[in-house]
Amino acid sequence: MTSQPSSILLDKGVIRRIYEFQVRVAKGLSPTPSQIEAVKVLVRLQHARNQLHITQQSANILQRRQPQYAKAILSGTGALQKGRYLRRWARRLREYAFSREDAVILAYGSFGVDLKAQSIGVGVIVTADLKLVTNFNARSAEVKERFDQMTLNLPTPYRSLSLPEVVTSATVLTDW
Amino acid sequence: MERLIVDAEGKVTIPPEIIHKYGLRPGDEISLVETADGLLVRVEDAEAWAWAQTWWNSLTEEEQQEARKEAEAYEALSTEERDAIWEEEPVSIEEDAEGDEIDLSAIQHPPR
Repeated sequence: MTSQPSSILLDKGVIRRIYEFQVRVAKGLSPTPSQIEAVKVLVRLQHARNQLHITQQSANILQRRQPQYAKAILSGTGALQKGRYLRRWARRLREYAFSREDAVILAYGSFGVDLKAQSIGVGVIVTADLKLVTNFNARSAEVKERFDQMTLNLPTPYRSLSLPEVVTSATVLTDW
Repeated sequence: MERLIVDAEGKVTIPPEIIHKYGLRPGDEISLVETADGLLVRVEDAEAWAWAQTWWNSLTEEEQQEARKEAEAYEALSTEERDAIWEEEPVSIEEDAEGDEIDLSAIQHPPR
């Protein structure tokens, strides 16, 4: 991939690494390479003026931690809410060997709602989970066919939605 | 611009203010990049450190103390305890949980 999409969802694993980077810095410890990678992804995507999203679940978890940590992440991202058909699509995805949590994040990518922008879904999901990316790419044709079958019967605007791309944070740093 | 003196062993000493600014620690990597304008010294992961520095400097002293306390508490947790924090509020995908889904069907979503 050479061009960047404008709307991106950072999964919970990426957000956790960013938070844990902050923890290590606050404690005067060196962050791990994967924590540094997650922060670099956040910074690069913000600089490229992408619309960054996290799930409402990630936002809620951050908001239960000290606000000093949460605000650094939440100020540059918007929380996606669960949109109509999100769970239905997540249940379908479970048939393709995705874990429940992976199915939910993928479903957020297509049916997550940004209330501020009044938009549905994102162009790309960035994850720290290589297994998720591998499984999604391996089964993308079947998943797309199933997605198209489902959305074809949905009302506007759901019938024009599409599947997001799913990439690792390493891909963002090396290929974008 | 900083001027550094190379000693007899080829070593240079980085000024303390630069070490502080970039959060450099023993063992951190620095790259020497040959460019058309000369030799560029690049701190690895500088963008991450700059982000950390901006975040930390945006906090008041009191907030920094609170952040340190949070860091102490979080670092003291076991892996299982940390995992539990990040697994709070799992999303049910059952049909009977669909009542809280937001319907934007009346609104045309903008192109992505």
